[in-house]
Amino acid sequence: MKPLAKLTFRWRSIAESRLFFPVIALCLVLLFDFIFIPGFFSIENRDGNLYGSLVDILRNGSAVSLLAIGMTLVIATGGVDLSVGAVMAISASVAGILMNPSALRNEVFFVTDPTYTFQPLWVVIGAALLVAVICGLWNGMLVAYMKIQPMVATLVLMTAGRGIAQLITNGLRVQITYRPFSYIGQGWFILPFSLYIVAFMLLATWLLTRKTAIGMFIESVGINFRSSFFSGIQERKVKLLAYTFCGFCAGIAGLVACSNVKTSDANNIGLFTELDAILAVVIGGTSMSGGRFSLLASVVGALVMQAVTQSMYAIGVPAFALQAIKSVVVIIVILLFSEQVRGLILRVGKKGV
Amino acid sequence: MVNRVSAFINKNRRFIPLMATALLAFVAYGIGVINFEGMRNPQVFLNLFRNTSFILISAVGMTFVILTGGIDLSVSGVVVLTTVVSAALLREGWNPWLVILLVLAIGMTLGFIMGSFIVYLKVQPFIATLAGMWFARGMCFFISDNAINIDERTFRILGQTKILIPGLKELADLQGTPAPYISIPVIVAFLVLLIGIYLAHYTRYGRTVYAIGGDQQSARLMGLPVNRTLMMVYTLNGLCSALAGLSFCLFVSSGHGLYAPGFELDVIASVVIGGTLLTGGSGYVAGTFFGVMVLAITQALIQFIGSLSSWWTKIVIGVLMLTFIGVQAVLANRKLDDKVLDAQSLRRRRQRLAVGFGAAAILVVLAFVFLPKLGIGSNSNQAETTVCEIKPFRTDEAAQLIKEGAVIAYNRLAGPKCIDEMYAIYPDGRVLKNDGVNVVEKKITSAEVDSLLKTIIDDYGWYTNEIRDTYHVPCRQCFAHYVIVADEGREKGATAVDGGVNMPPGYGFTLAVIRAVLPEQ
Repeated sequence: MKPLAKLTFRWRSIAESRLFFPVIALCLVLLFDFIFIPGFFSIENRDGNLYGSLVDILRNGSAVSLLAIGMTLVIATGGVDLSVGAVMAISASVAGILMNPSALRNEVFFVTDPTYTFQPLWVVIGAALLVAVICGLWNGMLVAYMKIQPMVATLVLMTAGRGIAQLITNGLRVQITYRPFSYIGQGWFILPFSLYIVAFMLLATWLLTRKTAIGMFIESVGINFRSSFFSGIQERKVKLLAYTFCGFCAGIAGLVACSNVKTSDANNIGLFTELDAILAVVIGGTSMSGGRFSLLASVVGALVMQAVTQSMYAIGVPAFALQAIKSVVVIIVILLFSEQVRGLILRVGKKGV
Repeated sequence: MVNRVSAFINKNRRFIPLMATALLAFVAYGIGVINFEGMRNPQVFLNLFRNTSFILISAVGMTFVILTGGIDLSVSGVVVLTTVVSAALLREGWNPWLVILLVLAIGMTLGFIMGSFIVYLKVQPFIATLAGMWFARGMCFFISDNAINIDERTFRILGQTKILIPGLKELADLQGTPAPYISIPVIVAFLVLLIGIYLAHYTRYGRTVYAIGGDQQSARLMGLPVNRTLMMVYTLNGLCSALAGLSFCLFVSSGHGLYAPGFELDVIASVVIGGTLLTGGSGYVAGTFFGVMVLAITQALIQFIGSLSSWWTKIVIGVLMLTFIGVQAVLANRKLDDKVLDAQSLRRRRQRLAVGFGAAAILVVLAFVFLPKLGIGSNSNQAETTVCEIKPFRTDEAAQLIKEGAVIAYNRLAGPKCIDEMYAIYPDGRVLKNDGVNVVEKKITSAEVDSLLKTIIDDYGWYTNEIRDTYHVPCRQCFAHYVIVADEGREKGATAVDGGVNMPPGYGFTLAVIRAVLPEQ
């Protein structure tokens, strides 16, 4: 009797773990690739750097992973941030204009010198992140202090943000040729450099939330903000912090994205990524109504989205038609998370053992 | 007196957002009329409706969705799917009426499916409709990768028939100006609006919608058919989106999966500006109409100011939305405060107001700081997409062609193949195409050229204020256009991008007729 009980317990603990579904989903996608796409798993070693489809998934998913880290905290407080795509565009525009200010004079100036920059790198990155943090603060103020519904409050910046980004770049696409900056998105140190940024942010956020009380505060606010307030948690400041941090993450994601394409394009950078980020968090098992969260599961969720994209590219689905397939995947994943299906899996586990 | 006024305001508090929007629309139009000669033209006023008929149609459906406390992000997806499906079927030679019925059915089906996900599987409206948008936009690319042109008689008639306004026609005849007119989509939009008002305020269905938005749980406990009503709301919104897609399709005379970017945001913004609470349960369909008008007048004002680029529309709409949402938040909070009005909450409210006004003030200051900077000029000489490095429009070369005797010069950039082609149409019927490598010539009759010019200038009002630059960075497979038309010493050029929601209808029609005579089409 005893081992049976233990086994059941183990299955339950695995099935109920936050990571269970995202990892299963990722495995399913990779299994599909393994069967249908020959050579998907091959990894090449060029001058000590690793290349291959798997590395591409990690690399191309890094912007969404960064967004997902910030978004997890916001969703855990019971909110949502729709403006991350626009904030990405704003931070990319600020960075672009500080490195190549020709657009301000309303002329397109193709700098070919890879060492030319208007401002030093730390000013560029600092200014872009500062602006992104201000955007996050703005959202946080609206949600926490003005008591506006999160979706509505961030919708404002989502609408106006792209306008602001175009205002900064004067509506032009800014070419970025500064070599050290392009290392952020295109550099390789055995693995793509952007991966280290994601890993660092993940680790830092994990330490911040799990090794201090902040994580618990966030979950408590997400579960019931009123009772958290009465138990002495300053729920407004917790929310403000979550949105500001989300803005910060979006700023980094914007830098990675624009460094990756060597252009700061206010109209296209971060377009629709807010949706990718939210879905990554949902796949990661954080409930949209707030409460418990898992950062790692969200990042795995972002990788699931990217893996689907990458494998569809590999079998030759055109980029835009991909959206239709993505939407089907999303619906399936969300249905998997519905109470009924979850209950069914748990029951099957019990019976099977 | 003050007491009476405040009592009156308190009694009619629920109308405040509606009145504010209406007032805003009138004031904005008034400012335009005072400052700009051109805005006094009755045709400009009617164009406000013509340019936004599809937004209005979609916004009426969206109002119901938002009244129930949901949201529908799929509208732009359904709109583009409608354009692509109708363009593809018309190319196959289907009966146009059958096509119209079919796309309406597709819209309703999509709405029904999303509704059932939301109602029965308890998926969040925002996620379900997002997936709906991706699905619809993605399906467009399974149908066709490139834009499909519509060249079909019924659609042309539907899009271009002019409906004269009885009183204004005589007035215009007296002044010797062309009679102002509206188009069929405008009539459809107003019909949809009237039906929407009727449904919302005079039927059991409408009352159920408000009840659901107020509190879904209580509505269910009261025995109202919550599930059925929600399904109806999403299905009807699908229908409205498809209808909006059809009228958009009549304007642009073509279909492609990347058209109408950000359309859903325009629609949601106009509903919010119209005074409907995004939490549901409060708002008026008539308010939505004024919200759409505010949007249209903003666009028109920015066009008349001239030196402001088109992205200012986005910023202005964002600020307006913020203001309305802020006002509503304050009103809603005040309702709560009435019960427990102590010194602390009063102070808090003052703080909140101060923060709100501070934010608004910062925005205004920012606007004034940036405003003078914008006078530098339009961004029309820069055309780039993400797939290709594009040169600017060849405006000088086009002007040169006109000098050499061409009546129409047309520069087309980008598109799926990243082209840069220059077309010139001469009065004797020669049509030249120069794609930088070789020159192709086609011959049409000079009578055809004459009628072409006449259509563009008289019917589509090329020299009127309505034709203007609406360039923005084109979507990845869309074309950017620059057309110069010259005739009897007059000459005017304008830029546009395929599928932009603010492209004037006349420009779309002009492109369609020019396209018809180009070589290799």
